Amino acid sequence: MWDAQFEEIMRRYVPFLDADEPLDPDASLRELGLDSMGIIEMMGTLEAAYDVRFLDEVLHLQTFATARTLWRSVSEMAEAVA
Amino acid sequence: MDEARNEMAFVFPGMGPTPFDEVSRFMLTNPFARRRIAAADEVLGYSLVRRYREAGGEYTEYAQVAFLVNCLALADWHTDRQELRPAAVTGPSFGGKAAAVWAGSLGFADAVRMTAGYARLMTDYFRTHHTDVVTQSFARTPPERLREILAELDEAGEWYDISCYIDDDFTMLSLREGRLGWLERRLRSLGGLPLYTLRPPMHSSAFGELRRRAAAEVVAGMPFADPAIPLVGDLDGTVQSTGAQVRDLMLDGFVRPVRWPDVVATLRGLGVGTLHVTGTDSLFTRVPGTTTAFTVVGINPRTAMQPRRRVAV
Repeated sequence: MWDAQFEEIMRRYVPFLDADEPLDPDASLRELGLDSMGIIEMMGTLEAAYDVRFLDEVLHLQTFATARTLWRSVSEMAEAVA
Repeated sequence: MDEARNEMAFVFPGMGPTPFDEVSRFMLTNPFARRRIAAADEVLGYSLVRRYREAGGEYTEYAQVAFLVNCLALADWHTDRQELRPAAVTGPSFGGKAAAVWAGSLGFADAVRMTAGYARLMTDYFRTHHTDVVTQSFARTPPERLREILAELDEAGEWYDISCYIDDDFTMLSLREGRLGWLERRLRSLGGLPLYTLRPPMHSSAFGELRRRAAAEVVAGMPFADPAIPLVGDLDGTVQSTGAQVRDLMLDGFVRPVRWPDVVATLRGLGVGTLHVTGTDSLFTRVPGTTTAFTVVGINPRTAMQPRRRVAV
């Protein structure tokens, strides 16, 4: 569903997910420990990793609801700049 | 980090929403928490734990007093288990009252009275005043971008006030609620991230009447001693050296913005290299301006409830 880089970045910011536990695409990232400061930091990491910039409609907290919603936004932004 | 900054400071955090379940075990079983709660109950004339558990709402009087009490109990607990003593103490926004207690300037009973009194006063005041004003927090908006937005508000003749400087690109702005949709869109168009909308608003020069009433109805008659350890004020980063200054600090927060980067600069100047954050903080001590300047150690109800590690002999 997503690439290894995304998986690695996500895991850095969800402290309540054990290392041996799979990341459910539809699990609430907030419940996995991602708070607003984590979102801000993770955005910077994703922007650098995928050479994208979060702007306009993507800059809603809903974008960060689940790994699936976030990957959709990141991959769309990455495609647009490719 | 330079070698001269070996000191530690306590930071009493600003208040964030804290569901009762998150802190119930700490409040019910930690001896330091129980001691503080018993003293608070005497002042309040009701059971803090019971009211906090039963009342809904994130910023009720009970939630606010509980946050104050828990932060001080965490500082008590932490002090009991380590030798290191803070070279300075500070508390952004709501945390200022607990910081004043720890610095020896404000008695605990008065801090409880002040917290409950401010909560009641604000509920009453904002029921009829500034009902159309909110405070919006946003990140990823550096000063030059913020200036653009403020210039546009000026041009449109809109009222606004900066309520909190959190980091270089992280701010809280008070404005009329009707402009909020525009602000959020404008922020996003520049890459900024709108976060939370505070109702009622806070820290604005428009609230002079609130400050006057707080002085007359809540703070009147409360004694303030000169701080026994350096107390760094959150409004401009100055070290408060007299009780009168601390009293003003407790009141000026209604009408002046919090300037956290100034606090960071003062603490660095005092040789502080480590912050012990006595309470759950999701803001001031987590922004890069703080985390790049200090080693930040969280002292929260979760760490307090972990069993103490025993050293094998």
